[in-house]
Amino acid sequence: MTKSKSYYSSNSINNWFINQSIDHPIRTIIFSVICTLIISSGMQFLSIDDDMMKMLPKNLNSKIIWESLQDEFGSTEVIFVAYGRENHKILNSKSLSDLWLFSERLDKLETVESINCISKSTKVNNVDGFIEINDLQNKQNVNKNDVKEIQSYLNKNPKIKKQLLSLKEDYLITVIQPRDSFSLDNFRDQVVSAAKPLFKNYEVYLGGTAYVTGSLPQLIREDVRILILSGLCIMISILLINLRSLRGVFMVLMLITFSLIAMLGSMGWLYKITNSDRYLFAMISTSMPIILLTIANSDGVHVVTKFFREMRSENNLKLALSKSMDALLMPIFLTTLTTIAAFLTMSASPLEPLIGYGICLSIGIFWAWFLSTLMLPSVIRLQKWNFKSHAISKASYFEKLANQISHLFVNSPIKSLLFGLAFIVIGLTGIHKVGIDVNVANFFKKGSDIRDSMDFMDDQMTGTMDLRIRVEGDMKDPKVLDEIEKIQDYLIQEKRILLTYSISDVIKQLHRTFMDDNLKYETIPQEKDKVNNLIMMHSMSSDHETLSSVVNYDYKVGLITALSRVMTTEEIFSFVEKLNIYVKKFIKEKIKIDITGFIIVIRDMAIMIIKSSLLSIFLSLFLVGTISTLFFKNIAWGILSIVPLGTAIILNFGLMGHFDAKLNHITAILSSIIIGVGVDFAIHYISQFRRLSKKKGNVNQKVINEVGYPILLDAGSNMGFGALIFSAFIPVQYIGGLMIFAMISTSLGTLIILSSLVEVFKNKLTN
Amino acid sequence: MRLSFRIVLMVSLLFPQNGLEISEMIQNRKAPKDISNTISMTLINSKGKKRTNKMISKSKDRNKKQIMWFLEPKGDKGIAFLKIEIQDKDDQMKMWLPAFKKVRRISSKKKGDSFMGSDLSYEDLSNRDVKNNNFKKLFDEIIDDKGYYVLETKPKKELNSFYSKHISWVDKENMTILKEESYDKKGELKKKKFFKYDYINSYFIATSITVEDIQKGHITKVVMSDVSVDNDLPESLFHERSLRRFPAY
Repeated sequence: MTKSKSYYSSNSINNWFINQSIDHPIRTIIFSVICTLIISSGMQFLSIDDDMMKMLPKNLNSKIIWESLQDEFGSTEVIFVAYGRENHKILNSKSLSDLWLFSERLDKLETVESINCISKSTKVNNVDGFIEINDLQNKQNVNKNDVKEIQSYLNKNPKIKKQLLSLKEDYLITVIQPRDSFSLDNFRDQVVSAAKPLFKNYEVYLGGTAYVTGSLPQLIREDVRILILSGLCIMISILLINLRSLRGVFMVLMLITFSLIAMLGSMGWLYKITNSDRYLFAMISTSMPIILLTIANSDGVHVVTKFFREMRSENNLKLALSKSMDALLMPIFLTTLTTIAAFLTMSASPLEPLIGYGICLSIGIFWAWFLSTLMLPSVIRLQKWNFKSHAISKASYFEKLANQISHLFVNSPIKSLLFGLAFIVIGLTGIHKVGIDVNVANFFKKGSDIRDSMDFMDDQMTGTMDLRIRVEGDMKDPKVLDEIEKIQDYLIQEKRILLTYSISDVIKQLHRTFMDDNLKYETIPQEKDKVNNLIMMHSMSSDHETLSSVVNYDYKVGLITALSRVMTTEEIFSFVEKLNIYVKKFIKEKIKIDITGFIIVIRDMAIMIIKSSLLSIFLSLFLVGTISTLFFKNIAWGILSIVPLGTAIILNFGLMGHFDAKLNHITAILSSIIIGVGVDFAIHYISQFRRLSKKKGNVNQKVINEVGYPILLDAGSNMGFGALIFSAFIPVQYIGGLMIFAMISTSLGTLIILSSLVEVFKNKLTN
Repeated sequence: MRLSFRIVLMVSLLFPQNGLEISEMIQNRKAPKDISNTISMTLINSKGKKRTNKMISKSKDRNKKQIMWFLEPKGDKGIAFLKIEIQDKDDQMKMWLPAFKKVRRISSKKKGDSFMGSDLSYEDLSNRDVKNNNFKKLFDEIIDDKGYYVLETKPKKELNSFYSKHISWVDKENMTILKEESYDKKGELKKKKFFKYDYINSYFIATSITVEDIQKGHITKVVMSDVSVDNDLPESLFHERSLRRFPAY
C-alpha cells in the first residue's frame, strides 16, 4: 500500500473516508459533533406515552368497537381504591365519613369524570308504597341508623353491594373513571395523592387497568434506568479489562452516547414534524437504547481492537489507522446496511409504535456508522499512543480465547459443526412450547405492590380485568333484555368472572321496587310498555347520566360489563372463543353483539405481535441474505450470512420455550437484538474471510484470530445487560436473561457454525 | 319603543333599586291564575344525540300545582305526573304508569336532581324566595337597546343549594328574566339559561327555555305551544284521580 498523505486505500471511497480522519481530524470531529447536536436537539420534542391503544392500528376491529364504547359510555379504564382493615367490618360512621371526604376530593380533580362509591350512589326504595330515589349516603356524618339502612339496602341488592363493598365487608370500594382528555399517569397520580393522606390509618389497595397502565411507564423506566446503568458499568468493566486503555473505552462510549442521543433526537424531530403516534416513546421503546447500544458498541469495538492489533504490528499511528479502516469500512457499512434493512422491516408491522421503532433505530444505526467511520478514527488520530503499553503490545484475555477457539474449530470442523447443530436441535425442541402472555398483570412479580393489590382485588373484590359486550338493539324491548340476561348468566358460569351488570339488572331492580319490593318481581317485565314505564319513572327524578354506564343516550346500544380475576392470554383466547360460539348458537334475537374490553384488546395485540415478529424475522433474513449475495457476488455467502442469525433465533425462541419465558410485546423485540448483533458478526466474519483468503496459510484460523476477538469482546460486554435479570418486571427479566443467550448464540453461531461450514466448504467458496 | 326605553332608563337612573327590591318585583310580576299548554322538551347530549318528550301540561298558582300527561314518545303515551309544592316540605309527586295501572308516589329529596332527565333541576324550577336567598344588584346593562338589571342571587347556607350563585339579566320593563348563569359550589359556571316570552292576555308567559349544562355539554330545549291562560282550572284537577284521565287535545 502506498503511504502518501492522501492515498490510503486502493478503493477510492475508502480512501476518501480515511483521508477525512487522518488528514482532517479536527474538521471531521467538529462537523460530527455539530451534526449530532442538531439531531439530538429533537430530544426536547420527545413525547412519552404508554397508551396501549395507540399501539394498535386504526382499522383493528376491537379497537374500533373499544373506541365507540368509550364514545358512548365514557372511559372503560378505571381505578379501584379499596380501604379498610382485614376482617374488621368497614361499614361504620367513621369510614363512611372518610369516604365522603374522599369523594369530595375526587370531585375537585380535573382528571376525574365520575366516581362510584357508597357516598355517590343513589338508592331506589319503596317506602310505604312511595318510590323514593335518594342518595345512599346523604350526608358526611351518618349515625348508626343511617349505617344500618345502607347495610340493609346493600344486602337487598347484592350486585350493587359487590361493586361497593369487599366480599368480607372489610373494605370500602371506590371506582373512579378518568376524563378522556387526560393521560392515565396524570389521572393515577391525582387519585393516589387524594387517597394516600386520607387513608393513612387504613390498609389501602389500588388497582384497575387505569392504575396499572398509569403506574407502569414510570415504574419500568425507573427500574430499567438503574439496571441499564448497572449493565453499562459491567460493560465498561469488561471493555476496560480487555482493552486495558481508558481512552479506548472512552472512545467506544463516546460513539455509543452520540448514537443514542441522535436516535432519541430523531424520534423527537419526527414526532414534532409528523405528529404521528408512531414516534411516541412508548413502553416498547424502552428496549431501543439497549439495541442501539449493542450495535454501536460492536462498531466501536471492531475499530478500536483492530487499531490496537495493527499498532502492535505496524508501530505507526497513521499506517495502523489507515490499515484498520481500510479493512473495516466495507464490513461496517455492510453490517449497517443489512441491520437497517432488517429494522426497516418493522415498517410492515401492524403495530404503530414498531414502525417508528424501526425507523428511529435505523437512524441511530446509520449515525453509529457515520461516527465509527469518520469521527472515531479522527479522535484516534489526534491521540498520542504509547506503543509499549499493554493495551497495544500484548494480547488480551478475549484475544487469547479467540486464538484458542480458532485452533479448536479449524482442527475439528465437523465436530464443531455437530456441536453447534446439537444446540440447534435443543432450540428446535423448545420452539413449540413458546407461550404468549401480553397481560400487563403478569408483568409484575408476586410480592410487588401492584401485584399484591391485584391479587387482593381478585380475592376480595370483583377482580380487575374487564370484558365489555356491546349490544345493539332496542334496549326497552323485553326480548332484547332477556338475551342480555342470558349472556350474563353464561358469563358468570366462568369461575374467573365475578360480577356482570347491564341495563337488565337496572330494570329488574326497578321492577321489584315498583312492585312493593316483592322479590318475586325481580324480573324483566314481559311487556315493552312496562319497561318503558319503569325507565320513565326512573328518569323523572334522576340525572340523564344515571344509566349512562349501561345504556346509550337513545337506548339503542347497551353495555354488558363483566369483571374478572386476572386471566392469562391463553385463557382469554379460549374464553372469548367459547363466548362467541355461545352467542352464535343461543342468542336468537336480532341483536348485534360485539365483544371487546381490555381482555380482547390484549388478545388482538398478541396476534399482532406474533405476526409482526414472524414477518420481521423472515423479511430480515431475506433482506440480509439478498444484500450479502449482492455485495459478495455469491449466493453461498448470502446464505451463510444468515446462518448465525437463523441459528440464534431458533436457539433463543427454543430456550424461551424450555424456560417458559413468555412472548409479549417486550420480549418479541428480542429477535431484533439478535438480528442487529447477529448480522454484524456474520458480515465481519465473511468480509475478513474474503479479504484474507487471498493470502497464504489457514484462512479460517486467521479470520477467527482477526474477528473472533472483537466478536467475543462485543458479545461479552453486551452481556452486561444481563443485569436486567434483576428487574422487578418479569418481561424485563426475560430480556436480561435472553440478552445473555442472544450474545452467546450469535457469537457462537458465527464462530462455531459459520466458521465450521466455511471450513467444510472453503474450497468451493474460495474458488 | 326607543322613547319608552329612554324614559325607563332615566327613571332607573333616578331611582336605583337594590337587589331585594328587584327580586320582589320579579315575584310580584303579574301572572295568570292558571296556564294550559303543550310542552315539547328536547334533550341533546354532548354528542348531538336527541331525545324528545311531548306533554300536555296544566298548572296553577305560579306552577305550584302542575299536572302533565305524556303524548310522546309513543311508548310513554299515557304516563301522567302530578306535582304539588307545599311550603317548607318536600314536593308531593305522583305518577300514573298505565302499563302497570298503578299510581306511585315518587320522591326526590335531592334538590340538585334533574327534572325528567333534563338540565333543569327541581331547585331550578322552584321559586327563589326572599327568606332563603341574598340578592344584590350588580350593574345595569343595555342589550339590543333594552335595559336590564344584572342581579346576583346567593342562596343562604340553610337552603343547602347546589349552587353558589346565580346571575340574572332582568328586563326593566316587564321584570322577566332574559338569561341567567348559575355557578356550582366550586364557583365554576354550571348552567346557562335563556328565556323567551310571549305576551298573552296581558301576561308575559315564558314559551321557550333553553338550558345548557356547560360542564356536561348537555342541552335542554323546552318549547311551550297552544298556550291558554286563566281557564279557571278546578282545584280537583290536581288530584291523583285526574292522572288516569287523559285529556282531549
